Amino acid sequence: MDLVAGRIWSDERRPIRHVDWVLLALIAVLTVAGLVVLHSISATTPNEAAFWLIRVVKQGATAGLGLLIVAVIAAFDYRYFKVYAGFIYAGALVALILVKIPGIGATDPSGIAQRWFSIAGVQITPSEITKLCVIVMLAAILSEIRTPEPTLADLVRVLAAALIPLALVFTQPDIGTSIVLAAIVVGMLIVAGTRLKHLLVLTITGMIMIALAFQLGVIKDFQRQRLTAFLDRANVPEDVRYNLDQSLIAVGSGGLFGRGYMKGTQTNLDYVPRQHTDFIFTAAGEQFGFVGAMLLLFLYALILWRAIRIAALAKDPFGTLMAAGIASMFAIQMFVNIGMVIGIMPITGIPLPFMSYGGSSILVSFAAIGMLESIHMRRFT
Amino acid sequence: MDKASSRLKVLALLVALMFVALSTRLWFLQVLATTQFQQDALNNSVRLTYLPPLRGQIYDDQGRLLVGNQSSLEVSIDRSALGSHGEAVIARLARLLHIDVGTLVKSLQDQRYYPFQPIPVAEFVPKDAVFYISEHPDLFPGVQVAQTAVRSYPDGRLAAHVLGYVGLINAQEYDQLKSKGYQQSDVIGRAGVEQVYEKYLRGTQGEQKYIVNSDGETIRKFATIEPTPGDDLHLTIDARIQAAAERELAAGLLRARGQTDSSGRPLQANAGAVVVLDAKTGAVRAMASLPSYDPRWLVRGLTPSESAYLYKSPMAPALNRAMQLGYIPGSTFKPITALVALKEGIASLGGSYPCTSTYTHPGDTSGAIFHNWDASNSYMSLYDAIRVSCDTVFYGFGSQFYFHYVNDQLGSGGELLQADLRQFGFGSPTGVDLPSEASGLVPDAAWAKTRPDLFPDGWVPGGDILTMIGSTYVTASPLQLAQAYGAIANGGHLCRPHVVGEVVAPDGTIAKRPEAHCDRRLPYSPAELSYIRSAMRGVTSSGTAACAFSGFPFSQIAVGGKTGTAERPPYQDTSWFASMAGPNPDAPEYIVVTMVEQGGFGAQVAAPINRDVIQDIYHLAPTGGSGCSSGLSQDR
Repeated sequence: MDLVAGRIWSDERRPIRHVDWVLLALIAVLTVAGLVVLHSISATTPNEAAFWLIRVVKQGATAGLGLLIVAVIAAFDYRYFKVYAGFIYAGALVALILVKIPGIGATDPSGIAQRWFSIAGVQITPSEITKLCVIVMLAAILSEIRTPEPTLADLVRVLAAALIPLALVFTQPDIGTSIVLAAIVVGMLIVAGTRLKHLLVLTITGMIMIALAFQLGVIKDFQRQRLTAFLDRANVPEDVRYNLDQSLIAVGSGGLFGRGYMKGTQTNLDYVPRQHTDFIFTAAGEQFGFVGAMLLLFLYALILWRAIRIAALAKDPFGTLMAAGIASMFAIQMFVNIGMVIGIMPITGIPLPFMSYGGSSILVSFAAIGMLESIHMRRFT
Repeated sequence: MDKASSRLKVLALLVALMFVALSTRLWFLQVLATTQFQQDALNNSVRLTYLPPLRGQIYDDQGRLLVGNQSSLEVSIDRSALGSHGEAVIARLARLLHIDVGTLVKSLQDQRYYPFQPIPVAEFVPKDAVFYISEHPDLFPGVQVAQTAVRSYPDGRLAAHVLGYVGLINAQEYDQLKSKGYQQSDVIGRAGVEQVYEKYLRGTQGEQKYIVNSDGETIRKFATIEPTPGDDLHLTIDARIQAAAERELAAGLLRARGQTDSSGRPLQANAGAVVVLDAKTGAVRAMASLPSYDPRWLVRGLTPSESAYLYKSPMAPALNRAMQLGYIPGSTFKPITALVALKEGIASLGGSYPCTSTYTHPGDTSGAIFHNWDASNSYMSLYDAIRVSCDTVFYGFGSQFYFHYVNDQLGSGGELLQADLRQFGFGSPTGVDLPSEASGLVPDAAWAKTRPDLFPDGWVPGGDILTMIGSTYVTASPLQLAQAYGAIANGGHLCRPHVVGEVVAPDGTIAKRPEAHCDRRLPYSPAELSYIRSAMRGVTSSGTAACAFSGFPFSQIAVGGKTGTAERPPYQDTSWFASMAGPNPDAPEYIVVTMVEQGGFGAQVAAPINRDVIQDIYHLAPTGGSGCSSGLSQDR
């Protein structure tokens, strides 16, 4: 290799030349689609008419900030995350503990859950950031395994690392994020090559623990009712049944082609509670029908394809595992959120990535995209 | 990384399964089961509770409140919340409110309400009953108490006919008006300005929106839209003059009942009206009609006897006799017909005319003889013919009009008298802003054809002859007469009478300005009008009304008028006096018209009432003079 060729070769490998533009384009399309749906909800709701512009503009601004975060994170080599994994993980645990201390963490209006910090009027939800911190920590641990597949001792270390934040999130209580964390663990363990036998044992143990949680009353009544509403419609409180009924009516009445933009009565008349946050898919389903819903699913499928592709292309196991963890995170959030809206998943507070209104959720999703880009851009260096 | 890539395939497979599950479910919901969900979406509905606006208030020209709002505690029943103890609750409520159980049940069966709407069952509920209900919610499930606004009348009966009243919307009206946002429990203006200015007074209702599911359960509550109060009416009515007119009319009727008619029978004087107009603008300063009623009865609900009195009694107290009925005007018509005769060249200001005791139409062989009330048999000017009210002078003019009709029967301009009277506003409503106005009648050949019982031979000389003295067939409302007198007073401008000056929105802006009222100009010369005005001053100073006006300070306030006594068999004569008054004899300020049904001679009953009203308007000392039933005062 001569010097010139070597220089060209090295220039070819520069990270900036390997941005995954397809992924960025997909995210942009999905974000714009989310703003369009958010506009339809807010502009037609009479008692919120004064806020619709604020809401759409705020969400758009948050997405803009999200793009900046993508650029900043992608500019850093993802391998730094491995170096600082311990600090990142410890930071998440500290935040999760601090949020539980009265006076530091803020309580939501219902007075039940204590989930966020309020700093200068901005809500910061540590459990959202925890998802990425756990992904980094588990990827760091699993990528250091020298054996072809994780040993039982490795598994115990991984589970211990995952269970501490999971327990902290679960007792906030935030069952939605707990489910996401669990799915991230499972997804990463699969990609790390965990033996089927171990996975089965893990699954059974998990199920027993969930059953115990129900039995011992760790899961509170109002949570249980929400979790089981999709299975047992008869014995749920009126507001939960109403929420699910209206959600199904909204999506179902959309039909094949939808009722038209701004023409959905369920959306316009604000029948579905929380339709701008957790239930935003109802507005899309009613207005754009089966065709529109499938298009959205297709967008998510393409994003997940890019994420798994990045996992496969990553230069090292740490990158592969991190990308796999992020793919697991997006997949479970999309699945549980849309599944909840259409009545095949429990009602939990999981936002739909890039679409649900809410700052922390959007920013964390964009940060994850930044991580994916960092991995993709450095697959040759 | 081969191994990793195969494990990633496992992950991809799991993700693919997720998409399969979601797609399958979406296919079921949105394609297979969509019909049912679309039906469910239709069954979801928004329900509105309307918040009634405060009705606009009504003021007189000085800003004195005539109609306001007061609060009433209203009890209503929400049938859907009565539960299984409905009968017990209704029985309990009936006992508490002293209402008959049957009445209560009947009001609950009102078909105009949806099942979810509370039905009002009682107004003006005493406070202790309300406290009892609110302290025992367990005893009264579904019973609600709300404060509602109802009409208040600080001056009681004052101007009742002009103001009108409001009533609960009936089923027929509701059907017509529900598209305009009226509710079953709304009130609507039923008479007077309350009816005519309904759309201004009503205001805009507020809304409270709820979403209910198909089971009728309230699910969500939207923000409230507050109601906007209605516009206020500022009337041209002067409460002081209105009160004076009502007081003097009532006193005059009472006085009249102590007197007798020409055949010695006591006068009935059962009803009457007084109209006071601003001569220059047509603004109604007072409009009194007796018998009247108390609008407060309608606020708290009519008792059966009140209802029978108001709507069924022959006294017809709800009728505004000042403008809703046409009366034979009698000799009060003469100043107008004199002007018409002048205009058509039949009479002249310098002319002299025979005032005979009887009159026969030239060439008439039917034997029809028209009588004069006085047998003076002399020639007199038009001035004196008006002053002493000589009928035969006017009969002669009537014959001339009839000749003109005969000569030009087939032409379009033959009925000069009728055309000129219509130009003066007779035979059609004045357009006053009050409901159900009478047109009156100007008899003509076409009308005669419709009445073969009266005119077997078609239009005959008697038609024109009798119309010239305002007798027999011609009718006019006191308001129409006042309008015509106003034109004589103000130099020939026919002004549309009106009772509302301005309509003022709650924010203080003018919602409706008065339109041009005096846009019709009558073709009479100032000399002719001035001549007639002076003749009418002759009536009060030395003519038929001289007795009634004896001692009146004409140097301060000039009054010109005309008496009228209209035969109306089998009833007693209608007594009239129509006048104009003001400090400047050439520019009278007020038109005052008084009419008393079965009141005998005009000079005897109506003229003194009229005089007293003028004295009250100008704060003059009373001059008495009410025993005028002889001599000159016995005109037609």
